[in-house]
Amino acid sequence: MSLFDILAILGKVAFVLAVVLGSVPLIVWFERRGSAWIQGRVGPNRVGPFGLFQPFVDVVKFATKENFVPRDSSKVYYHLAPALAVVAPLAAFAVIPFGSQIIVMGQAIQLQITQLDIGILAILAFAGLEIYPVMLAGWSSNNKYGVFGALRGSSQMMSYEIAFGLSLASMLLVYGTFDLNEMVRYQQNTFFGFLPKWGILLNPLSFLIFLIAIFVETNRLPFDLPEGDSELVAGYHIEYGATKFMMFFFAEYVAMIMASSVLVTLFLGGYATLPGVGLLIHTLGISLDLTSDNQQNLLALGQVTSFIFKVALIMIFYVWVRWTLPRFRFDQLMNLGWKILFPLSLINLMFVASFLAWIGG
Amino acid sequence: MSETAPKPTITLDGKCIPFEPGDTIMRAAERANLDSDIPRFCYHPGLPVAGTCRMCTVEIEKSPKLMTSCSTPATDGMIVHTQSPKVRQSRAGVMEFLLINHPLDCPVCDQAGECSLQNYNYEYGPGTSEFKEQKRIFEKAETKKLSERLTLNMNRCVHCERCVRFTESVTKTNELLMNHRGWKKELTTALEEGVFNEYQGNIADICPVGAITFNDFRFKKRVWFLKPKETICDGCSKGCSVFADEEKNIVHRYRARENKAVNGHWICDAGRVSFHRRQEPQRVVEPLLRPTGSTGLVASNWLTVLPWFAKAIAEAKKILFVLGTDTTIEEAKALQHDFPQATFRMLNGIDGINTSKDDAPVDQLLRRKDQTPNTRGLEELGFTALDGGETGYELAIYFKSGRAAARSKKLAAIEVAWGVWFSPEITDFTAVIPGLSHLEKRGSFTNCDGITQSFVPAVTPLGMASSVEKVLHALNAKSRSQSKEALHVPL
Amino acid sequence: MAKVVSRKESFWDRFYIPALLIGLSVTLKHFFRSLVLGKTKTIQYPEVKREYSQRFRGRHFISIDQNKIENCTSCYLCQTVCPAECITIVAEERDPAQNPYGVAKEKKPLSFDIDALRCCFCGMCEEACPKDAIKLSRDYELATLNRDEAMYDLNYLKREVKGRG
Repeated sequence: MSLFDILAILGKVAFVLAVVLGSVPLIVWFERRGSAWIQGRVGPNRVGPFGLFQPFVDVVKFATKENFVPRDSSKVYYHLAPALAVVAPLAAFAVIPFGSQIIVMGQAIQLQITQLDIGILAILAFAGLEIYPVMLAGWSSNNKYGVFGALRGSSQMMSYEIAFGLSLASMLLVYGTFDLNEMVRYQQNTFFGFLPKWGILLNPLSFLIFLIAIFVETNRLPFDLPEGDSELVAGYHIEYGATKFMMFFFAEYVAMIMASSVLVTLFLGGYATLPGVGLLIHTLGISLDLTSDNQQNLLALGQVTSFIFKVALIMIFYVWVRWTLPRFRFDQLMNLGWKILFPLSLINLMFVASFLAWIGG
Repeated sequence: MSETAPKPTITLDGKCIPFEPGDTIMRAAERANLDSDIPRFCYHPGLPVAGTCRMCTVEIEKSPKLMTSCSTPATDGMIVHTQSPKVRQSRAGVMEFLLINHPLDCPVCDQAGECSLQNYNYEYGPGTSEFKEQKRIFEKAETKKLSERLTLNMNRCVHCERCVRFTESVTKTNELLMNHRGWKKELTTALEEGVFNEYQGNIADICPVGAITFNDFRFKKRVWFLKPKETICDGCSKGCSVFADEEKNIVHRYRARENKAVNGHWICDAGRVSFHRRQEPQRVVEPLLRPTGSTGLVASNWLTVLPWFAKAIAEAKKILFVLGTDTTIEEAKALQHDFPQATFRMLNGIDGINTSKDDAPVDQLLRRKDQTPNTRGLEELGFTALDGGETGYELAIYFKSGRAAARSKKLAAIEVAWGVWFSPEITDFTAVIPGLSHLEKRGSFTNCDGITQSFVPAVTPLGMASSVEKVLHALNAKSRSQSKEALHVPL
Repeated sequence: MAKVVSRKESFWDRFYIPALLIGLSVTLKHFFRSLVLGKTKTIQYPEVKREYSQRFRGRHFISIDQNKIENCTSCYLCQTVCPAECITIVAEERDPAQNPYGVAKEKKPLSFDIDALRCCFCGMCEEACPKDAIKLSRDYELATLNRDEAMYDLNYLKREVKGRG
C-alpha cells in the first residue's frame, strides 16, 4: 500500500467523521426546533442565529456537570457501555459508499472508506453490536429502571433484527451482490429511461419493513421503549450523567445517521444523483470546459451532496414521525414484530426469490 | 329549714329547678347552671342589680308583661319561658336600639370575640336596622385614658353601668359616674386624676363591650387566639383564682376566675399583670456555672451542671437549704426528703416580711402585704424563717419560683440558685439551675386564710428550665449510665 | 350510561397505513404553519409579558392612603383566616401625636410579616380585610435568590402599587 493510499484512507476517515459528528448538533437543533414547530412552539432560539448554537452550549453544560458513578455499579461495564454505544455505529460507516470516485493526481480514489465485498454483512454485524451498550448500561448501573430498559431494548432489537435481516436479504436477491457499491451502481439504471431503478420501487414492501425495523433498532419513537420516559424515567441510561450521558445522546444520533445511510444505500439509490441532476452536472462540466478528471470530480461532489441530502431527508422524517405517533405498548411492539413483520418479510423474501427464479430461469 | 320540707321551685323552660328564698329568677337559673339562656348586659353576679338594660327579660305565665329576670324575685310555682317568641322579639328590639349608635369597628375592637353585644346579636339580633341617620360620636371620649391602666372608647358603650356600680359597691371609691341622659349619656371620672383604685382590671373584665379596655392587654392579641387555662395567681398570699389566657406558650393576660372561697369575682391589678414575670427577658432559663477562677457565670448545659451539683452536694459537710416562700408544698416535701443532711430555712424577704405573722390585708378587698403565695404552707410544714444567724455552711442552696426575694448576704462558700431567678439577682452565685415558674408546674399553695389550692401547668417550660422532680431524679441516679439517661430527661 | 360505539374498520383501515399518512399530514401542516406563518403559542417571556386578569392573585401589598400611611388597622382577621398561617402581625397603638385619623386608625401594625413561601395565594386575607388594606397584586414574578427575600415585611408591603399592579 502506497503512502498515497494511506493518506487517501485517512482523508476519507476524517471526512466521514467530520460530516457525521458535525451533523449531530445540526440534527439535535432540528430535533428541538422541528418538534417545537410541529407543536406550535418556538423552540430554542436564544443561542446564536436561530438558536443554532444551542447544541454546543448543551455540550458545555454536559461537560461541566458532576461526573458521578453509582456506588454499586459494575464499574468496567458501566464505563464501557457509552464508549461502545458511539463506536459501534461509527464503525459501520467504514463500508458505506458516499460517492463513486474522485480522481486526484491521476489516481482514482473510491469514495468509501473500505471496499468490502461483504459490506452489507459488516453493517449487520455492527448493527448487532448496538445491543451491547444498551444491555451493559442497563445492567451495570444496578438500577431497576435501567434493567427494565435494558431488557426491553435487547428483546426489541433482537426481535426486529429478524425482520431487518429478512428484508435486507430480499434486497440482496434483487441486487445479486453483497457489495454496497455494486448495489448503488445497479440503482443508477432507470426504468423506461426516466424512473430510477431504486430499491424502494423495486421492492416497496421490503422498504417499509426495513424502515420500521430501523426505527426499532435506533430506539426512536414510536419504539423508544428502552428509554420510555413516562414509565422508566430514562431507561437503560438512567444512571448516566455528564459526558457519559452525552455519549449515549451522541450515539443515538450517530446510529440514526448510520441507519438512514444504509436505508438510502439500499432503497433510495445511495449516492446516485436525483433524476436529471446527473445530466445537469454533465452539461455544466462540458460548458465549463473541464478535463474529464475534473468532470468526474464534479460528479462525485454532486453524488456526495445528494447522499447527504437523502440522509438528511430521512433524519427529518425521524423527527416528523416522532411527533406523529405515540409510543407502542410492549405487547403491541412484539405483536407487530413477530406476528406481522416477520411473516410478511418471509413471504416477501419467498416471493422475490420465486420471481427472480422465474424471470431468470 | 327542716330537711323534709320541699324546697320551693320554679319551672324554667320546662325544667323544674329549686331556689333559695329571696333569689331572683336569674339567680335561680345560675344555681341550676341554666343562666346561659338569659342574655344580660347590666346584670353581674358580683354587683348590685340595676335592671336597666332590659336584655334579660323573660316571659312569666300569668304576667301580662315581660319581666326582667335579674330583678324579679322567684316565687314557688312560677313558670318562666326564656326563649318564647315574645321574649325573642323583645330582645331583638333591645339589640336594634343598642346597635343604632354602636360603631361597626369590631375588627379593631379588642373585645371582639368575647363581646356580649356581638354574641347576643348573633343569637338574638334582628339582623337589620331601620336606622339610616348619622351615628352618635363622642369626639372627646373616643380614646380617653381613664387612668394609666384603663382606656375608654365611649362610642362603644351600651350604658349598662356595671363599671359605675363596681366603683360604688366593690371598691367603694366612686370614681366613675354617668353624665347627661339619654343618648348623650357619657361615662366620666369624678375627679381629675381619673380612676385610682387597685382593681381597675376588673372594670375592663366586666365591661360587656369594648368600651373600657385594660392597657396592659390592649391591642396585644385577639382573644380568639387565646386558650384559657385555669390556674391561681401567685402575686400575694391570697392566691386568687385566675384564667391564664395563653397562646403558643406565651401567657397574654390573667382574668379573674370566680372562686367564692378566695376572691369572689375579682383580682387586683398587681396580680393581673404578675404573669409577666414568667416570660421576662431577664429570667434565667438555662443552666449557668461559674468556672474555677472565672469572675462571671457562663451558660452551660444540664450534662455539665448536674454532675457538678451532685459532686458539690456529696463533698459538702454542712448544707444550708433556703426555700423561698413561693415553693410549692410538694416541692418542699420532695427537697426535704432528698436532702436529709441539709438544714432547711425559708425566706420571704419582700418588704421585710419573714413569717405569716407579718402578713396583713392592705385593703378591705383582696390585697395582702405578703407578696409570696405559700408562706403559710411552708410554716405548716415546719420550716422556720432565715434569721441571719446561720454560719459555717460549705454549700448553700437557694430555691425560689420567682416571687420570693433573693438572699441579702452571702452565707456559704458555694452558693447555688435553683428555680426562677432573674439576671440581676444571680451575680455572685456559683451556679444557677433553672426551674419552673408556677405557671409551668403542678403543685399547691396554702394561702393566708389556710386554704390549700392545687394547680396544674398552664404553659410548658421556657428554655431549658426543668422541674424539681426531674433534677432530683437525675441527681439520685446511682450509676453513670443511669445518670446519663436521667440527665436526658430535662433536656 | 356507557354508550357502546361500534367502530367499523374497513379493509384498508386494518393496514393502519392510511391513518398513519393522515397523522403525518397533520403534523406536517402544523410544522409549516409554525415555520412559515409563525403562528406559535409561545410568549417570549422576559421581553413579552402576559397580561393577567384583574382578578389574578400575585405578590401581596398593603394599600396606603394619600399620606402614605397603611390602611391596615392590624385587626388580625387576615392572620385568623389564613389557611397557610403565613401572616404574622404584631399590633401597637399609633402615637396619638402623629395620628390625624383619630380612633379610625388608633391601632396600627408594629410589624406585618408575610412568609411568601408558605402562602398559597388563596386570597382569603384580601377577602377578610375590612379595610381593603391587604391585597394581592398582579405581580407574578415571585422568584427570589434566597429565602429571606421571600419574607415580606411591612416596609416592603407598603410599596406603592398602582391599581392592582
